Amino acid sequence: METVLNIFGHLHPLLVHLPIGVLLFAILIHGLSLREKYAFLSNALPIAYLIGTGTAILACLTGLILSNSGEYDETILFNHKWLGIAVAQVSLIGLFFTKKRFAPYLKIISLVLLILIFITGHYGGTLTHGEGYITKTKSAVVATKTIKAALTNTQELVLYTAIIQPILEEKCYGCHSQIKQKGKLRLDGEEWILKGGKDGVIIHAGDPQQSALYHNITLDPLEEKHMPPKGKPQITEEERVLLEWWINTGASFNKKIKDLTQPIQVKSILTSLEKNNQQVKTTEVPSEKVGPADNNSISALQKNGVTILPVATNSNYLTANFITLPQTNDTIHSLIKNISPNLIWLKIPGMHFSSGLAKSIATCTVLTRLSMEHSTITDNELHILNSLTQLQYLNLVGTKISLKGLLGLTAIKNLKQLYIAQTSITKMDVVVLQKNFPLAKIDFGNYTMEKLATDTQILKAPLRK
Amino acid sequence: MSKVNNRIIQEANEQTTQQITRKYFFKECFSGIGAMALGSMIGGCDWLGSKDGMGSYINSNPLMAQAPHFVGKAKSVIYLHMAGAPSQLELFDFKPDLLKLDGQDCPQSLLEGKKFAFIRGVPKMLGPQVAFQQRGQSGAWISDHLPHLSTVADEISFLKAVQTDQFNHGPAQLLMHTGSARLGRPSIGSWVTYGLGSENSNLPGFVVLTSGGNNPDAGKSVWGNGFLPSVYQGVQCRGQGDPVLFLKDPAGIDRDIRKASIDAINEANKLSYEEFKDPEIIARMAQYEMAFKMQISVPDVMNINDEPAYIHEMYGTQPGKACFANNVLLARKLVEKGVRFVQLFDWGWDSHGTDDANAIDIGFVNKCHSIDKPITALLLDLKQRGLLDETLVVWGGEFGRTPMQENRDGKTMPFKGRDHHTEAFTTWMAGGGIKQGTSFGETDEIGYSAISGKVTAHDMQATILNQLGFDHEKLTYNFQGRPFRLTDVNGRVIHEIVA
Repeated sequence: METVLNIFGHLHPLLVHLPIGVLLFAILIHGLSLREKYAFLSNALPIAYLIGTGTAILACLTGLILSNSGEYDETILFNHKWLGIAVAQVSLIGLFFTKKRFAPYLKIISLVLLILIFITGHYGGTLTHGEGYITKTKSAVVATKTIKAALTNTQELVLYTAIIQPILEEKCYGCHSQIKQKGKLRLDGEEWILKGGKDGVIIHAGDPQQSALYHNITLDPLEEKHMPPKGKPQITEEERVLLEWWINTGASFNKKIKDLTQPIQVKSILTSLEKNNQQVKTTEVPSEKVGPADNNSISALQKNGVTILPVATNSNYLTANFITLPQTNDTIHSLIKNISPNLIWLKIPGMHFSSGLAKSIATCTVLTRLSMEHSTITDNELHILNSLTQLQYLNLVGTKISLKGLLGLTAIKNLKQLYIAQTSITKMDVVVLQKNFPLAKIDFGNYTMEKLATDTQILKAPLRK
Repeated sequence: MSKVNNRIIQEANEQTTQQITRKYFFKECFSGIGAMALGSMIGGCDWLGSKDGMGSYINSNPLMAQAPHFVGKAKSVIYLHMAGAPSQLELFDFKPDLLKLDGQDCPQSLLEGKKFAFIRGVPKMLGPQVAFQQRGQSGAWISDHLPHLSTVADEISFLKAVQTDQFNHGPAQLLMHTGSARLGRPSIGSWVTYGLGSENSNLPGFVVLTSGGNNPDAGKSVWGNGFLPSVYQGVQCRGQGDPVLFLKDPAGIDRDIRKASIDAINEANKLSYEEFKDPEIIARMAQYEMAFKMQISVPDVMNINDEPAYIHEMYGTQPGKACFANNVLLARKLVEKGVRFVQLFDWGWDSHGTDDANAIDIGFVNKCHSIDKPITALLLDLKQRGLLDETLVVWGGEFGRTPMQENRDGKTMPFKGRDHHTEAFTTWMAGGGIKQGTSFGETDEIGYSAISGKVTAHDMQATILNQLGFDHEKLTYNFQGRPFRLTDVNGRVIHEIVA
């Protein structure tokens, strides 16, 4: 019997929209019927109010059953419950007043009902989606960011407040906090966590597998007890390891990270948390907005065999690849200049270089990636490219450039990757190069592989008697 | 003779009547009251403009380069598939506890309710047949079968708990590459070329190379275009002799005549397209154009003889032969030239232990040695060319192998081998914006089942598309009235290995 009732109760979120829709519609046609042009609509008022009242009563009944589950915040629930009952009652009165002689009263009833529906609906929304659900998406993002920004020296932080609580807040609070307590469980405070839910204690310090808090998140996603429920943001692998570690080390609420033993796996996650925070995310796409590039120049370049397209569908920044074009001419140079505010990635492998080409590339000051491997570029053209201050990736593999030429690029301070295999520059020059390009990872290539017996060895089956 | 002629004429006549009646039917429909209804029905099969925001293809080259949904880290993919499914227990998933159980009967609990391809009755456990060591700074376990790869362990992200639901090669390979174990879906390379087109207008966007003496069990469907226009199917190049057959012009036909005839054929095809709007006509036109360009570009790019000696030394190539090392070197050359997706299949990894060639301690070891050097060389070579950060390298099989020794039909086998295993196996990815030197997912003490970080073929596909700049849920194609996608209704980007 109880389960049947429960199912009935769970229909509330479904049924509740019927009276909202029907009654709002009734109020709408009531409003319209006040104009002479739509006066005939008043004939529909009794039936509209009848259906509205009926479904409102149904919603109240299911709501009352649902409220017994005790998973909701008491004050908000109280407001929602009584306001809902008020909606049903007022619409019932409205139903009586749909008779023609009560027409003036019905206006007041409709107005009151309209206000009641909105307030009740808002409380209902708060119950299911949490406080401030209308604006939540934005503020939630800001909140997680501030937590992550605080992690500079993880060893000095309290494990629970710095790492565990933010995980619970992001993944669990939605159903297990002040607003809602599914399974009679709250996770937004030490006392609640220790108290547990309707199935008892959820944490056994030192034994994650026996702790429901941990065990349930490791269950197969298809199992009913798996948390967070299907469709909600799941616990990531890193978060799982951290939760396991927290319970393993005694589920303390005030110990600092440095006072706890740290397995290798945990250590690497902790350092990655710090790293993620330190690294200012540099992307190879500028954050500044740019207008669309000149379409005629783009199609002219395409006609010449250049592959040129936006870096992403919604971006005006362009990437160009000259792989099928061995040589350029003045027309191409001016076309490159035309799209220079938009061009951020350029590939000209094997290109027959000229100073004209170098000069036109030099106008592309937003360029972040430039591949010129196996081209005929020399120091003469290279020094023209010193204007590319945003360059992060530079590929000069197999070219005739020299150390002196490369050191001439004094303005390119953001360089992150430099490829100079098969050039005259060797590892001996690494110190001076690194000084010039402090952020760059310099790849000199010339990797060799050891000769091993296994390379050529072929095993055969032992001969059988 | 006249009988044959008559049949040909009859067939031609039938086709003409068919076209005329169809033409008549369409004209009637569109002028009649049913036009709207039919229009919406056909709209369901409309292949044009189904990629959101990617514009329409009418009268343009379907292989033209396209922008992805968002800025992707990788521009191309090299997928190394070890057809037959290599043993994770002798390569990456080190299980010392399994060694202790070597030779003992498999506990009943592992067999209950399970079905194996060949194991019957109670098999014996088989410990790892090779020593393992932790490699590099990341401490990844790699066996002594891959001494070269061990030196680049810090470039790689391992997925140790990959799962599948197919225990036969064909369906499992299809699942891995097309997202469905049944025939008929487009392969991942086709999806990628459909989404991104080709960077190099003279080369196909999706090239397939096979080695090991056989094509994969699933046949050419693993690089098929499924319901996508056929221009997106993988172009298989031969490892030996002419890379693509019949690419040379016949004697006495020079290139201008060839160009003129292709232009004339395509003019006629264009008229046909305008009348019938069959997308396959566009595909055919594009293929004629492509074939014409490939006559020049393919012999050049597929020729590894021009590579310097030290490169051959690195990869361990065998010029003139069809072998995995040559294909790996070709893969690098193709990616360098702007090919989007290079798919390699190496056959011969099905180590059941039925003969010495597929014994886990003989033939399997030889296979490992044959891929160790080329794959390592590929990673190092891409790195020194500045290409590794924009080329995603994927390695894997279609499933894993059992911790039990195979006992085909309940009998003892002549050699040591392992049966097909679906519940846990290892694949890896490197480059293309994947984390360096990490491992995701764990198996139990004997490598029988995955306990955390489980991923599926769909998850790997979602991740590959993500690296190229695609939301796998949005790269869709309308077919038979609904949008289809590679990952069907599944797939999660494995953010744990994405840098």
